[in-house]
Amino acid sequence: MSVVEDDGAPAEQLSALEEFRRAPGAFIRQRPHLPLVPLVLVVFVLAWEGVVWAWRIPEFLVPAPSAIGRALVAGLTSRLYLDHFGVTLYESLLGFLIAAAAGIACGTLIAQFRVVEQTLYPYLVALQTLPKIAIAPLLIVWLGFGITSKVVIAALVAFFPILVNVIVGLKTVDASKLDLMRSLDASRWQTFRYVTFPNALPFVFAGLDIAIVFSVLGAIVGEFVGSQRGLGNLILQFHTSLDIAGMFAVLLLLAALGVGLHLAIQAIQRRVIFWAQADHIVGA
Amino acid sequence: MTAPLIAVSRLEKTYLTRVGTRIRALADVTLDVADGEFVTIVGPSGCGKTTLLRILGGLLSASSGSVELLGRRVSGPSRNVGMVFQDPVLLPWRTVLENVMLPVAVLRLDRRAHHRRALDLLGLVGLAGFEDKYPHELSGGMRQRVSLARALVHDPALLLMDEPFGALDAMTREAMNLELQRIWRESGKTVAFITHSIPEAAFLGGRVVVMSPRPGRIVDVVTVDLERPRDLDMMGSDAFGSYTRKIRHLLGPKGWLE
Ligand SMILES: Nc1ncnc2c1ncn2[C@@H]1O[C@H](COP(=O)(O)OP(=O)(O)O)[C@@H](O)[C@H]1O
Ligand SMILES: [Mg+2]
Repeated sequence: MSVVEDDGAPAEQLSALEEFRRAPGAFIRQRPHLPLVPLVLVVFVLAWEGVVWAWRIPEFLVPAPSAIGRALVAGLTSRLYLDHFGVTLYESLLGFLIAAAAGIACGTLIAQFRVVEQTLYPYLVALQTLPKIAIAPLLIVWLGFGITSKVVIAALVAFFPILVNVIVGLKTVDASKLDLMRSLDASRWQTFRYVTFPNALPFVFAGLDIAIVFSVLGAIVGEFVGSQRGLGNLILQFHTSLDIAGMFAVLLLLAALGVGLHLAIQAIQRRVIFWAQADHIVGA
Repeated sequence: MTAPLIAVSRLEKTYLTRVGTRIRALADVTLDVADGEFVTIVGPSGCGKTTLLRILGGLLSASSGSVELLGRRVSGPSRNVGMVFQDPVLLPWRTVLENVMLPVAVLRLDRRAHHRRALDLLGLVGLAGFEDKYPHELSGGMRQRVSLARALVHDPALLLMDEPFGALDAMTREAMNLELQRIWRESGKTVAFITHSIPEAAFLGGRVVVMSPRPGRIVDVVTVDLERPRDLDMMGSDAFGSYTRKIRHLLGPKGWLE
C-alpha cells in the first residue's frame, strides 16, 4: 500500500512482481530462500526414490515416489479418488459453514451479554478441554454411517476455534473508538455494527483459518470411525489391501484439500479485511 | 449580555480508583465560554484537562457543581458537541468520506444533505480528492484533519479538542494551527482547545485558561488581545512574547512543561 505524505507525493513501494521484472538477479539474491524451497523438495524426493531403489524396499512398506505418482494418476483418471474427494470436501465445507454461523452467533451473544457469558462460561471451559474427536463414535451410533455424522463431527471440531476468536475479537476494542461512539450517543447496536463487529473481523478470520483445517480433520476422523465413502474411508480400504502407494496418494489429496481450503480463506480474508493488513504494515 | 454557551460552576471531580483510593482531579472550576469564542486550556500533565473536557462532552459525570451547555444541564453526550481526540480515532475499514459521515449515520441525519456537507468540510480541511482513500493511506496530520471534519459534520455548536496536534511534528503542527484558526473563523463555532504548548495556547486562544497541578484549579484566565487572523510571524513579536511569558509565570516556578 502506498502512504501519501502531507505534500501529496505518494511514497513509492513496488510490488514483488514488479521488482522481479526490473531486476531478477538482485531480486533472487535478496531472497535466497526462494529457489531453495523447491530445491529441498526435489532433493528429498530424489533421495527417497534412490533409497527405495538401492535397498530394494518392498512397495508394501515404503513405496517410491514414482509408485505413489502412478497410484495417484491411476486413481484420478478412474474418478475413484475424485468421488471420495468430493464427499470429504462436502462434509468438511458444510461442517465448517455450520460451525462458522454458530460460532459467530454464539460468540456475539457471549461477548455482548454478560449474563450469557457468566452462565455459559463453566460449560465452555469444560467443553473446550474435552477432546471433541472422542465423541465421534457416539455420533456415528446416533446419526449413522452416512454423511450427516461427519458433518456434525466436522462442525463440532471447527466450532470452538471460531467461538473463542469471535469472543476475543469482540472484546478487543480500543477504548478510544468506544469513546468516539459514546460521544455520538450511539446505541448499543450502532456501536456493535459500526465499531465492535468490524473491529473483531481480523480475529474472526484467524479463527476461520484454524477452523477450516479442523473441519477436514473432523470429517476424516468421522470417516475412520464409520463410513461408506470419503478419503478417510479410502485410506482404510487401502490399509486393508496393503496398498501403501494408494494411501500415500490419498494423503497427497488430503494435503491438497487442506492447502486449497486454507488459501480460499486467505483470499476471502484479503478482500474483506484488506485494511487490517495494510494497517499493520504501515504500523498505524 | 447573552447567556454563555458553556457555563461551568464550582465543578469538582474526584475519581474513585479500583483499589479504593480517591483522586481529586478538578477542584472548584468555574468558567464561562461565550458563543463563538476560542478558548485554550493549558496546564501541567495530569492536572485534569482531559477530565474537564470529558465532563463538558458528557462522557463523564461531575462529582459536584454544574455544567450547562446552551442553558441546559449536561447529563450525557449531546449532538451540539463535536469532539476531536488526541489520536484521530478513525475507523480503518471506512474510507475518509465514510469516516466523516459516521456521525450522520449514528445520529440518523439526512444522508443526502450531509454528503454534500462532508465533501465541503473535506475541502475546508484541505483534503479534497481524498474522499475514497483509507486512513492507512494518509499521514498523521491528514488523519487528524479527517477527524476534525468528522467533528464538524453534524454542525455542532461546540468543538472540544483534546491536544489534537500533540502527536504531530512541529512544522505540521504550526500548519494545523493556522488551518484551525481559519476553520474556526469560517465556521463560527465555539472551540475549547486543550494543549501542552504555551505558544500554541497563546496563538490560538482568545482567552487562555491556565490550570494548576492536580487537583486542577483555574489559576488565571489570560485574554490574548492580538489581531486576527494571526500568522506565524506574529509569534516572534514582543506582544506575543509577553503573553507566553505571562502564561509561563502563571504555571509556576517550574515554568516550562515537558
Ligand atoms: N478513570 C480514572 N480513574 C482514576 N484516576 C483517573 C482517571 N482518569 C484520570 N485520572 C487521574 O486524574 C488526573 C487528571 O487526569 P487527566 O484529566 O487525564 O489529566 P490531563 O489531561 O490534564 O493530563 C490524573 O492524575 C489521572 O491520573
Ligand atoms: Mg489529557
